[in-house]
Amino acid sequence: MNSKYSFASLITLLIIIGGGIFYFNLQHFWSQEKYSVTVAVSKTPLSTPFYVAKSINAFDDTCVKVEYIDVIGGLAAFEHVMNGKVDFGTSSDSVIAFKSLTAQSFVTHAMFVQSDNDVKLITRTADQVNSTIDLKGKKVGVTRGTASEYILSTLLAIEGLTVEDVFLHHYKPADLTKGFSLKEVDAIVPWEPFAFQALQLFKDKINVHDTKSLSTLSFNLISQRADSQLVEKAKCVIQGLHTAINYIASHPQESKQIVMDELDLAPEFIDWVWPDYIFKLGLNQSLILNIESQAVWAVETQMREYREVPNSAQFVDSRALLQVEPGAVNIPL
Amino acid sequence: MKFSLQQQIYFFTFSSCFLFVALVVSILWSTQVVELALKREEYANKVENHTNTLKHFILSENIYASNYNSDNWLALDNKFTQLLHLAPSLTPQLQTIQNSIESQNKNVLRLFNTITRNKLKNADDIIKKHLKVRLITQLEAILSDSIELSMIAEKDIKAIVKHQIIFIVSILALSLFILIFGAFKLIKIFRTSLKEVKSAFEKNHSGHFQRIQLSNQSEEFNSIANAFNAMNKKLSETTISLESMKKIVAERTSVLEKLSNTDPLTKVANRRALFERGNAEFSRVQRTKGRLAVILLDCDFFKNINDKYGHLFGDNILINLCKVCIGEIRNIDFFARYGGEEFIILLPDSELNGALETAKRIQRSLANNCITFEGKEVFSTVSIGICTVKEQHKNFEQLIKDADAAMYKAKMHGRNRIETVEEQLLH
Repeated sequence: MNSKYSFASLITLLIIIGGGIFYFNLQHFWSQEKYSVTVAVSKTPLSTPFYVAKSINAFDDTCVKVEYIDVIGGLAAFEHVMNGKVDFGTSSDSVIAFKSLTAQSFVTHAMFVQSDNDVKLITRTADQVNSTIDLKGKKVGVTRGTASEYILSTLLAIEGLTVEDVFLHHYKPADLTKGFSLKEVDAIVPWEPFAFQALQLFKDKINVHDTKSLSTLSFNLISQRADSQLVEKAKCVIQGLHTAINYIASHPQESKQIVMDELDLAPEFIDWVWPDYIFKLGLNQSLILNIESQAVWAVETQMREYREVPNSAQFVDSRALLQVEPGAVNIPL
Repeated sequence: MKFSLQQQIYFFTFSSCFLFVALVVSILWSTQVVELALKREEYANKVENHTNTLKHFILSENIYASNYNSDNWLALDNKFTQLLHLAPSLTPQLQTIQNSIESQNKNVLRLFNTITRNKLKNADDIIKKHLKVRLITQLEAILSDSIELSMIAEKDIKAIVKHQIIFIVSILALSLFILIFGAFKLIKIFRTSLKEVKSAFEKNHSGHFQRIQLSNQSEEFNSIANAFNAMNKKLSETTISLESMKKIVAERTSVLEKLSNTDPLTKVANRRALFERGNAEFSRVQRTKGRLAVILLDCDFFKNINDKYGHLFGDNILINLCKVCIGEIRNIDFFARYGGEEFIILLPDSELNGALETAKRIQRSLANNCITFEGKEVFSTVSIGICTVKEQHKNFEQLIKDADAAMYKAKMHGRNRIETVEEQLLH
């Protein structure tokens, strides 16, 4: 009898505790409608939060079922979005800055990673380019309308030069190294992993110039101008990214391994880029200023056909991120 | 597994103590955690203020002016760098933001140095303006990060307080549950066990020796029950021998009583029993005005039989007579040896005719049931006197005396006959 009573009491206690836990976590038990979404993910370690999210099934608890379309570079991802091939894409702030000039109706939902050292200037040791001023008259390979071009023009401008003082050769991101090895150009401005590939390929025959302070590259979740349903989807994608980013902060080694496996990268490469990466969700004033300053710079240097720089704030949609992590949104509404 | 009450109370006390300690530790722990979160928030605020100052300096002054002294700003940034080094311990999420701030601070410093090194003498105004904007942008980014840092710290404080409240409430609920459960359990054990012991004592008192069967097992009450049961066992053994003793005494008394009221030869009631019963019957008749008849039988020529066949055969004659008489009387009648060869039958509720009938039956039966001596049948007869209670009789002895007179008359008239008392002969 006593053991019966004890058992019943224990069960009652467990029910009370369970009820309490259930009450405080009620939201987790609410079933959500699952949307199928496609995301054009640029094949770079900057997309780590997406790879980690997939690996740890971070989207399982959200309202979306996510399918990735692998693309090379943020520009390609952007185009996929604008063509309507995918719902979302991952694009750098440079792409956003340049594309904002063409007044395309797109928005940024969240920045999920930033690096202050993603784009590098590579020259041949033999050319003895010690300063940007030495680039004058040289053939430089860049990717048009991207951070690559922006960094080059900034570097040149610091020394009082413009892109007109060099011979620009435009390449697709993956072809920069090829152009460099074929000696079509004297210098290239690639981003990772192409800078690392070049270093692996040419070793001490090249110089990797310090461009660290000149740009902050961020990767952002973009979509076409969003209606409320698309915002809802974006919210769920961001929820998954939020989970993934917290995982990266607490499990850096495992996260590195996930990216290495996903992109078939060498550990040396990850160790090379990882310290420059800051994974965090955000939509802040600096992003807008960054986009704006790059747009202004583009207008004033190369894209003079666009006389007006639009208000960058219109390319930011904070509705989704505000629902996930309001603290990460720091822009005037 | 059985626990003693003492162990249960200890366990109960230790559990309560443990929960109390858990509560205190949790409060201390949460104090520490909240303090840390407050430190983080304070730190985030400092970072925010400092960044604002750095930004203000850049905005308010012309950093490209030839007379611009960068030392003040650098000193300020140096202080800022030191502040970043004094960051309290951070969660992974906060550390990510801290890394971002540190990294961007380096960039700011680097960019500032690039700008101020040679005042960008080759650069045009566009790049100057652009780089200044970039500097401000980076400071803005630090500002955003510090705001986020502060918000997360604040959120953490709220979350910790919420969790702590849940934890404390849970612990208190658990303590309360254990307290109530323990108290009820102990009260139940005490009450039921004491009730069972009391009931056993009461039953003992009324002579029903019963073992204590405890429904709640506890070492202490079990020991009391065992001691009681052992005592009870001994008591019941002693009590059983007393009872059997009483029984034996009663049996013996009954045997003795029987012996004292029985004639040793014929095994019928003796003279003492006769008078005891006779007096009782006489009293009853007197009281109820009922009827009572007395038959007195005397064995004829008994002395001659004794002389002729021996005393042993004489005894057999008497035994046979008793057997015959007992066979002919009613259940309510009383047969006794009056003395020698004389016997008396008391016939309650019987009139003279009834007594005569009985006497005749006895004569007939005696004639039919003779006994043998060395193969030869020896017949015996009886002389019978009958008397019924009349008003004249004052006691039982007078009744017997009249019956004796009637018997004597039978003897006088030739023996083997029945005589009743004539009115005038009545005592």
